[in-house]
Amino acid sequence: MFTPPLDALLMFMVATPAVGWVADKKGYRKVQGIYASASLLVAAYFLYGLYKEVAKNGIILIVGQPTFNPPFGACLEIDMFSVFMAFLYIIIGLFATVYSMKFMERDSGLTEYYMLMLGMIAGMTGIIFAGDFFTLFVFWELMCLTSYALVAFRKQRWEAIEAGFKYLIMSAAGSATILLSMSFLYGMAGTLNFAALATSLTNTASEGWLYTTLTLVMVGFGVKAAIVPFHTWLPDAHSAAPSPVSAMLSGVMVQTAACALIRILLLVFSSAQPAWQMTLAVFAVFTMFGGNIMALLQNDLKRLLAFSTIAHIGYVLFGFAIATPYGLTASLFHIMNHAIMKTLLFLCAGAFIRQTRTRDLRKLRGIGRIMPITSAAFTIGTIAIAACPPLNGFWSEMMIIAAGIRAEMIIFSTLTLANMALSVVYYFRLIRIIMLEMPTEVSKRATKAPISILIPLLILAFLCVFIGVYPGPFINASSQAAEAALNIEAYIEAVLGGL
Amino acid sequence: MIPLNYYIACAVALYIIGMYCLASKRNMIKLVMGLEILVNAAHLSFIAFSAYISVGFIDPLGHSIVIMSIGFAGCVTALALTIVTYAYKHYKTLDVRKLRRLKW
Amino acid sequence: MKVDRIRVVGLTAAVLTILVFSTLIIEHEFPVFKYADTDQPPKLVENETGIIGQEVSRFLWDYRVIDLIAQAFVLFAAAACCVALLRIEERKR
Repeated sequence: MFTPPLDALLMFMVATPAVGWVADKKGYRKVQGIYASASLLVAAYFLYGLYKEVAKNGIILIVGQPTFNPPFGACLEIDMFSVFMAFLYIIIGLFATVYSMKFMERDSGLTEYYMLMLGMIAGMTGIIFAGDFFTLFVFWELMCLTSYALVAFRKQRWEAIEAGFKYLIMSAAGSATILLSMSFLYGMAGTLNFAALATSLTNTASEGWLYTTLTLVMVGFGVKAAIVPFHTWLPDAHSAAPSPVSAMLSGVMVQTAACALIRILLLVFSSAQPAWQMTLAVFAVFTMFGGNIMALLQNDLKRLLAFSTIAHIGYVLFGFAIATPYGLTASLFHIMNHAIMKTLLFLCAGAFIRQTRTRDLRKLRGIGRIMPITSAAFTIGTIAIAACPPLNGFWSEMMIIAAGIRAEMIIFSTLTLANMALSVVYYFRLIRIIMLEMPTEVSKRATKAPISILIPLLILAFLCVFIGVYPGPFINASSQAAEAALNIEAYIEAVLGGL
Repeated sequence: MIPLNYYIACAVALYIIGMYCLASKRNMIKLVMGLEILVNAAHLSFIAFSAYISVGFIDPLGHSIVIMSIGFAGCVTALALTIVTYAYKHYKTLDVRKLRRLKW
Repeated sequence: MKVDRIRVVGLTAAVLTILVFSTLIIEHEFPVFKYADTDQPPKLVENETGIIGQEVSRFLWDYRVIDLIAQAFVLFAAAACCVALLRIEERKR
């Protein structure tokens, strides 16, 4: 059908109701969570096999029928960039699923929850594997639909419904904009295949319609990638969702939109490259400032983390706007680091909220004395994301600034550095509130988190320290992925070379 | 035949009407209808392009994309209306301006 | 009266935008299939049986099979979303 990892995720998603029915009949509550984690492990194993095949054979092309004709046919095209991002999705999904076994135990509808989580991960994997614009759109809709339902999952509270409705309206408007831009590209080139579009649209530098389509693409993907004028759904949706879902949304879904955007910009709009580089850099600076300044004003723990996600997407988009191999390596490495750090922070925040039933920072003071292990992991995550030297955030953020300086974008690099310094203010405010203050009555009611919640937190904190101390292999992996993303000739050759 | 530019102008006009509907209507169900108008703008544009490849022939790719995309628009509408029923249960009104408890 | 004025302003702005964009579009010619690959002459899709429904599904199944199968999964996921949102909460208080 498709490739083994994507097949595994989709098949296990479809088989989840059967497992859930058996579990409800017998009265076991944990079976669905164990089943979801096991299916993600199987998908990771298949993805490792796919990685070895891509490393040996170059780009892999999956077509539907042997009589494949590039202007018409749908295809999946898998290179190292896709494999790198798919690994990240499955690993972060595995942590979120293991965490939600204990976190969501008091909720109803667990079968649907794990089915939607698997569906969201399958959708994200399909987006990054797609070789045709409409195939990307099909998997984009899969990811979007499952995320709407996951944000509104705790529907008995008004907050989830309000956040879910606003998120749905804005995100569906973005999808419709993507569809309109697809229609203009189809009108200009007669095909929606990325390789065919890349060869067709090469000498269109003075074409007004190309710039219109470029604007529509950036608006459409920018709504989901939380670029600043279109980011207003993000704080509400990420605070109202259950914490493992927030970790998935913040950690990987926003980055999926950014990666899909950069893939389309590099392949399809290569003739307008100076235009989109400068536009993306300006949007990135606005995004950084918007995220950091709003985060300084927050008193709600999850909203603060959501605004910090917006700021970090600004850094990633700045690295993408540089569009050199070094810049892309820095951005992909920062995507990996940010996914690990932000997942750690959201899962720790979820542990705090589960024990004290409040998200207000003023009431969560001093909880570090009562939940020591969780707070230690939270502190490691906060120090890492504030770019302090021995941990992993430092390497990726410094690489982004170095890439900007090498590419002669001095003003933007200075603004990025100013933003990173600004963000240290609210991260250290978080550490002070959690660890250094005296406990209030609300935080004294907390008890220590259970062991199955602590295990993902400790593994993620260990990863932060490990990548910080020994970043070599990870930077190597990111640079292989970045080279594959920039290697447009190999991409075109894999599809059209045989014809 | 009618020149192609009129069809594109209609599609862009529908898109602007859809955006205006999302920006200015208060009833939540009207907002969902606005989403449908937005998606239909893109569908009209696809069908118009697929008819202008050369006189008398129709490119099947545009039509196949529209067939599949109508299905997706239906799924999003179903999910949106489910959320609207719960919003009515919580807020006792369909006015989207009353959904203002989440601020800043 | 204040609300009515804002509505009138909004409506005029939308109508003006539509008129401006329509004029721009009709003036600037759209490069229809200008960048299409014209090395291969347009292939005609064969019409074996005359039943148009079967021909459409044959075209979809021959050329866009990946999208069709993925759409089946998307429809399943949409049904799962609606079931997840319409579930009955057990009251264990």
